[in-house]
Amino acid sequence: MPEVPKVIYLDYAATTPVDPRVLEAMLPFLQAQGEFANASSWHRPGFKARAAVEAARAQVAALVGAEAGEIVWTSGATESNNLAIKGAIEFNATGRAHIVTARTEHKCVVDTCRYLETRGVGVSFLKPAANGIVSPEQVLEALTPDTLLVSLMWVNNETGVVQDIARLAPLLRERGVLFHVDAAQAAGKLPIDLRRVPVDLLSLSAHKLYGPKGAGALYVRRKPRARLAPQMHGGGHEWGMRSGTLATHQLAGMGAAFELAARRLEGDAAAVAGLRDRLWQRLRELPRIHRNGDPAACAPHVLNISFEGVEGESLRAALPGLAVSSGSACSSATQEPSYVLRALGRSDDLANASLRFSLGRGTTAAEVDQAAAMVMEKVRWLRSLSPLEAWEV
Amino acid sequence: MAQPSTDANPFGYSEAVWRLFNQAPRAGAFAPGTAGVVAGTAQSNAAHAVLRIELQLAGGRVADSRFRAYGCPTTIAVGAWLAGWSLGRTVAELRALGAADLRAALEFSDDRAHCGLLGEDALRNALEKLQR
Repeated sequence: MPEVPKVIYLDYAATTPVDPRVLEAMLPFLQAQGEFANASSWHRPGFKARAAVEAARAQVAALVGAEAGEIVWTSGATESNNLAIKGAIEFNATGRAHIVTARTEHKCVVDTCRYLETRGVGVSFLKPAANGIVSPEQVLEALTPDTLLVSLMWVNNETGVVQDIARLAPLLRERGVLFHVDAAQAAGKLPIDLRRVPVDLLSLSAHKLYGPKGAGALYVRRKPRARLAPQMHGGGHEWGMRSGTLATHQLAGMGAAFELAARRLEGDAAAVAGLRDRLWQRLRELPRIHRNGDPAACAPHVLNISFEGVEGESLRAALPGLAVSSGSACSSATQEPSYVLRALGRSDDLANASLRFSLGRGTTAAEVDQAAAMVMEKVRWLRSLSPLEAWEV
Repeated sequence: MAQPSTDANPFGYSEAVWRLFNQAPRAGAFAPGTAGVVAGTAQSNAAHAVLRIELQLAGGRVADSRFRAYGCPTTIAVGAWLAGWSLGRTVAELRALGAADLRAALEFSDDRAHCGLLGEDALRNALEKLQR
């Protein structure tokens, strides 16, 4: 049996650990001696909880250049994306019923749009170029007089490809089309200033930024006002857009995490980009590997690579000491390679034999070097086992 | 996941599959032209898997063996198990081995049944060549 190795965590795009300062900010709102009261209650403890929620709202707004009153709390980016897309379509009084999005969006956008298709909404799923970019011109060409909404992610969760949101947003505003952006992987990684970029709806998540899981937000522009039909009905919380008792501790944590991210953005981005580039330099000593997505338009924390000549499940199984994500959800003979990489034109085999490395604050140069050595050793070993290999391994 | 995830076997493969995948005993190929070697290959397009087994026969029994595999860990484990099991076996014993035997020996789950078939097919292919 192989030794049980220490796991090197390079899956920060999947989730991050809660920063100790964030945890410290959360704890008082859970305990009897703290501010555990319901933030909607009409008494002094309730007012204190409400004050914490509003302070957190301002912290989240500040990271993206928004006003506090434009932040609607949700349970995470999946709910934010559902609320933005379904809410915009349902509120719509214009009769327009067409959405433009991309094939490479997160499942929660793709599946929401597919659901709406079953309700009679037209959806155009744009195919990106081989480098993962959906150009603003491509989006404009797909618009029809019926188009109500464009939904495009700022940073792709699998490839790290950054879309040109700043150029596209004013073009859509001129045409009177709502613009929703999933920024779960972008916030805290890239500078975002919604005072300058006229996005209407923007989805955010706490746990991608060293905050707690189960907390998120949707930015809903006030001027001009983006209007949504609620998807969660109840007590009329969050200006009627999202009912439900606010999770004070989660929101305080999200606020603390976003404030921390604002302070650290530049330094964090430079540090992880340096380590990401170091990882790529090490790995590219291997022949027949392919970087997925445009390296010139990539978020600082993501590196996605396909490896020729190895089977994806074996590659992942051969690396038990490495926590990374893969381009496959295979569990049987019917393999499902990454639909994102397939949309970029990768073959099933290459899409399946891919690894997404995502780096974070805890990543060290020593870990990067060790991870690269492990991957190179195992790729060479698997190639040496393959009867298909008659080439350099 | 067929087995519970543990630190030692985090992906929940059967113990036999996990051990044979990690150690891959008898992986490789005989030098071209080695006397008495017969090879069999099987492929599954659906599972993106290829298995090649090489058997060196002497005196009606398998004297040595090798395998190479491209596929999931179970495919690799099937190749390693076949190569090890075949040592000292007669042709009649090889003929009697089926996918169900591989599955029983390696304790893999229903969704990996195709890996057992791949092993059976590779062995059959080698035996067909032996007949010719």
